[in-house]
Amino acid sequence: MTFQLFISGVSLGSVYALIAVGFAIVFSILKFSNFAHGGMISACAYIGYFFLSAFETPPPFVVTVIFTTICGVLLALLVDTAAYRRIRRKQAPNIYYFLASITIAILIEQILSVFFGKNLYGYPAIFKSTTFNIGSIRFSSVDTLILVVSLVILAVLLYVINGTRIGLAIRTVAISPSTSRLMGINSDVIIIVVFAIAGALAGISGVLLGMKYSVYPSLGPSMMIKGFIASVIGGLGSLGGAIIAAIALGIVEIFLTYWIGSLSAPIVLFGIMLVFLAVRPEGISGRFAKDKV
Amino acid sequence: MSNYQISLVMLACISVITVSGVFTMTSLAGMFSLGQAAYMSICAYLTFCLARYLSLPIWITAVIGLAASGLIALIISLPTLKLRRDYFALLSVGFGQMVSSIVILLGDWTNASIGFSKIPKVKGLVWIILGITALIVFMVRNLKYSRFGRMCIALKTDEIAARSFGIDVYRLKVKIYVLASVIAGVGGICYGLRNRVISPDAFDWSLSAEMQILLFFGGTNSLTGSVISAAGLKVLPEFLKGVKLFGVNLQDCKTIIYCLLIIVVINFRTQGIMGEQELDTAALRRFAGRFTRGKGGES
Repeated sequence: MTFQLFISGVSLGSVYALIAVGFAIVFSILKFSNFAHGGMISACAYIGYFFLSAFETPPPFVVTVIFTTICGVLLALLVDTAAYRRIRRKQAPNIYYFLASITIAILIEQILSVFFGKNLYGYPAIFKSTTFNIGSIRFSSVDTLILVVSLVILAVLLYVINGTRIGLAIRTVAISPSTSRLMGINSDVIIIVVFAIAGALAGISGVLLGMKYSVYPSLGPSMMIKGFIASVIGGLGSLGGAIIAAIALGIVEIFLTYWIGSLSAPIVLFGIMLVFLAVRPEGISGRFAKDKV
Repeated sequence: MSNYQISLVMLACISVITVSGVFTMTSLAGMFSLGQAAYMSICAYLTFCLARYLSLPIWITAVIGLAASGLIALIISLPTLKLRRDYFALLSVGFGQMVSSIVILLGDWTNASIGFSKIPKVKGLVWIILGITALIVFMVRNLKYSRFGRMCIALKTDEIAARSFGIDVYRLKVKIYVLASVIAGVGGICYGLRNRVISPDAFDWSLSAEMQILLFFGGTNSLTGSVISAAGLKVLPEFLKGVKLFGVNLQDCKTIIYCLLIIVVINFRTQGIMGEQELDTAALRRFAGRFTRGKGGES
């Protein structure tokens, strides 16, 4: 039983990790918390659902994920154009980014709930049986699929960030946009690339969350808060820290839910976050994004 | 006035109260919180539950509720205000979630998600709420022009510079946060008295976000601007009642309309409708002066 809980905790945590990385990557570049991410996750969950149910025989899982990812990227670029580009050009204070992202988050949630929110949607089952056994241990098929997909995506992302030229450019812009422009990096393009990556992550996590739970408008925002907590504990703007913290958070949440019930879990998690910030405000990774003087 | 109009006036007043609470925090001290609705929730639940179960008059329990929300704000702010501003905003979201979880956990007393509806009826409520609103707006206005307010504006503009001028930044932030939370508590009590039912869902983070949106819409640094936008935008959807567009009831879309308005304002007039301007006698005189001078130039 404990081992099963552990596995489903890791699976939940890996979805949180996808969300947390989506934030952390935007935060590391623009130094603001992208609240709109939650709304985009919901929107992508709906897109995935409608894509699946548009066909007589549901298309394979991979096609759905790829389609939703593309939609997520397009949505992210749209949000960037509509809400952030002018702020960036005016070099307005961070608080306006904050406000714009909150507005977008509420806007998406409201659009979903006004036009599609009448009933809950469930993804059609993609596996014949919901569980399978290895030895005496029973695994949930969906949880395992989610775990595998998220780990693959995270690995690809870490490779892109740490091993490619574009990743190098992203890391440079994260340190200083103006200096990297002097070094011949087009930081405007890099910012758009970062939004596209965040959109792709939102698309994938939207489909995965939609499969795990049913689809409803506040799905993304409620998951988003967990992603936040993970990226704060991991150290804002650090990808590795966010992943470790998210998986730990998933495990803690599953065990808390099992022992004391799902209602008390947010209270304990908030307490953990408060204590963590009081003891080690720089997060697990120890990289502390300082306010510029 | 019909009952409907009275209830609209009260709706606008409550919106003005909560937005002026956020004004003290965001516009004066530059702190961004998404947890103010949680203080409304704490204060409203404490006030009405205590009034119900200890059968005390509501005036006494309201004081207890306000004191409690101030105290909780103090406890929360002591560790969190040492952090960066964004951490603080993120934590406040978590705090809001925690408060609604607690309300649901204490379902035996608070009636959980169904909502607590045993709220006494108060006669002449509209006059009381109007009075409270006027008082709070007047207080916040005075605060803005006081020494304390100038200290806050210095803190908002540049924290390090403010510290070098001898302002105790940390204590100032704690004070203003507690003050903002108490004002939010007043808003919560008024909300409960008007609606006669309070539920944890009514005080989730989107309400806190709405307060910030109304504030920024009116102009971050303009109290009159935010008061006008708080009252105006809150009542605006009521005029859309029954209007249909493409088969969708426009009143359902009120939040969508808000959000689109805000996006337009942020994009094209980032500082808000009123910007830094205050609508007071001096501004009116300036305006009138420009008008007459313009006439004089022509003649």
